[in-house]
Amino acid sequence: MRSFINHIEWLLLVVFLVTGVAFAAVLQYYLNDWSLIVTDAVVSAVVTAAGVWGGILIVKAYPTRVGILIYSLLAGIAVGVVVWYADKTFLKWWLGTDKDYITWLHASLLPRLVLAILINCWLITLAATGQRAFALEEQFKNLSDVATLHREAELFKLRQQLQPHFLYNSLNSISALILIQPDKAQEMIGKLSDFLRNSVKREARDYIPVDEELEYIEAYLAIEAVRFGDRLEVLYNKHFTDDSSIPPFLLQPILENAIKFGLYGRTGHVRIEMDIALKKAYLIIIITNPFDAQNRPPSGTGFGLEGIQRRLYLLYGRTDLLETKQEEDFFTAILKIPQNNV
Amino acid sequence: MYKVILIDDEPLARQLVHSLLQPYKEVTIVAECSDGFEGFKAIQEHQPDLIFLDVQMPRVNGFEMLELLDNPPSVIFTTAFDEYALKAFEAHAVDYLLKPLTRERFDKAVQKWLQQAAAKQQPQVQNLLQEKVYDGYQHRIVVKDNGMIRIIPAQDIHYIEASDDYIKIFTKNGSFLKKSTLSQVEQSLDPKQFVRVHRSYLIPVGQLQRIEPYEKDSHIALLHCGAKVTVSKNGMAKLKTLLGW
Repeated sequence: MRSFINHIEWLLLVVFLVTGVAFAAVLQYYLNDWSLIVTDAVVSAVVTAAGVWGGILIVKAYPTRVGILIYSLLAGIAVGVVVWYADKTFLKWWLGTDKDYITWLHASLLPRLVLAILINCWLITLAATGQRAFALEEQFKNLSDVATLHREAELFKLRQQLQPHFLYNSLNSISALILIQPDKAQEMIGKLSDFLRNSVKREARDYIPVDEELEYIEAYLAIEAVRFGDRLEVLYNKHFTDDSSIPPFLLQPILENAIKFGLYGRTGHVRIEMDIALKKAYLIIIITNPFDAQNRPPSGTGFGLEGIQRRLYLLYGRTDLLETKQEEDFFTAILKIPQNNV
Repeated sequence: MYKVILIDDEPLARQLVHSLLQPYKEVTIVAECSDGFEGFKAIQEHQPDLIFLDVQMPRVNGFEMLELLDNPPSVIFTTAFDEYALKAFEAHAVDYLLKPLTRERFDKAVQKWLQQAAAKQQPQVQNLLQEKVYDGYQHRIVVKDNGMIRIIPAQDIHYIEASDDYIKIFTKNGSFLKKSTLSQVEQSLDPKQFVRVHRSYLIPVGQLQRIEPYEKDSHIALLHCGAKVTVSKNGMAKLKTLLGW
């Protein structure tokens, strides 16, 4: 309904013409002087149109969407009274010399007042509902965007989990362990099962406890640690309360990145640090991983973190919640999750 | 006695191949490497008869490593790579093994190779590199530079010139030769960034500074690095579509 407000000049023209013609049509029953009829009709129509315009501006400036209907109704009545008064005063001043007209004008004041209030209330509430519908539509669109993205992320995750590389490579490691270290093989199967069970059972919730997300991620990292032997070391630093929450599937892509560039992309020992702390109203997660500057992807791919950035924007309407830094051979991602329960 | 090298970034994956190779008394493992760079060095040093090669590895991946070898040994790929890529090299390698490896499949591959080796057939691994085996585009080119491996990120390339059987890659650190064709490189790089403006030239669009008319039907492109390259009529058309002129 934005178009309704945007084409206000057309609306006002229509209001002007309709009121003008209506007034003229009614007036010609009571007055027989055409100049009087036209003057009265034009003045009334102009004042009414101006009133409607002012009313719509008032509604537009109204800060919240709550109770806008009552507000616009009141505005309509107020504007109607003002319009009626302005109309009366102007006509008196303009056509004051005609005694008969003035007498008639006084007699017609009540119907004029009623008419002015009705027209204004009707048009202004119409504008208000239009605006409300527009706002609701926006909100609805935003919500469905969030839902779609969430679904996409989930599907992506599913594909990722059921997808070859990680699973097949893990199975290959298990196969090797069976031959050389059967005990460890069993342990690895346990970890892999934990990971798979976790990813299958997770429902689509908006927020999950951080602990739950971490359990999942730890299982994933533990498997990678077995696959790559002593090469991978993960340091956790946790300072948060039990009720800290996080949107699901948000942390994982960042860690996958850290693994991809830190572990798959390099040789030698790799240390990934994960620092999770509750600070004021935010859960702040800092993930640091080494990476090979030579192996950097071309600028613009943004390490595949755009998806997270976009989800954060849709969830919180902010673009400053994910920050990344590249310092020499280290890559740092800083994620801030607003906690509404604090 | 056949010499074998294992190249895989996962120690457990190498151990598995190691164990599976145990029954074969006619082969000996001369080296184990955890990336393409080490693999390249070990192959030059030991001249093995066969390598077991993973594709996705740090620094230099399996394909890149093969590209650099003048005389590649027989290859058995061991990878969790998707089937799209597998199809491309199926015909060229001795065999490919999907992870997780199984004894049965592994033995089959080794038997196949032993037969080929006994018949002195050299499978043409080089052919494999003529095909596009990657999903998506490459963001770098790997070249040999005085026996060393050099990785050139795509954004460092000024332009690439064809010269006989080689291509000459011009970068801010000088130029490098690679045994390849311009069409091959053109295929592997992102077509939104690299344009074949002439039979002999491939340029990154970002390098373009000015284009001036030259002879009939051809233009000269002035690049940010100061070089001038000829742009053919065809190349001009490509540039126009890409840049939306």
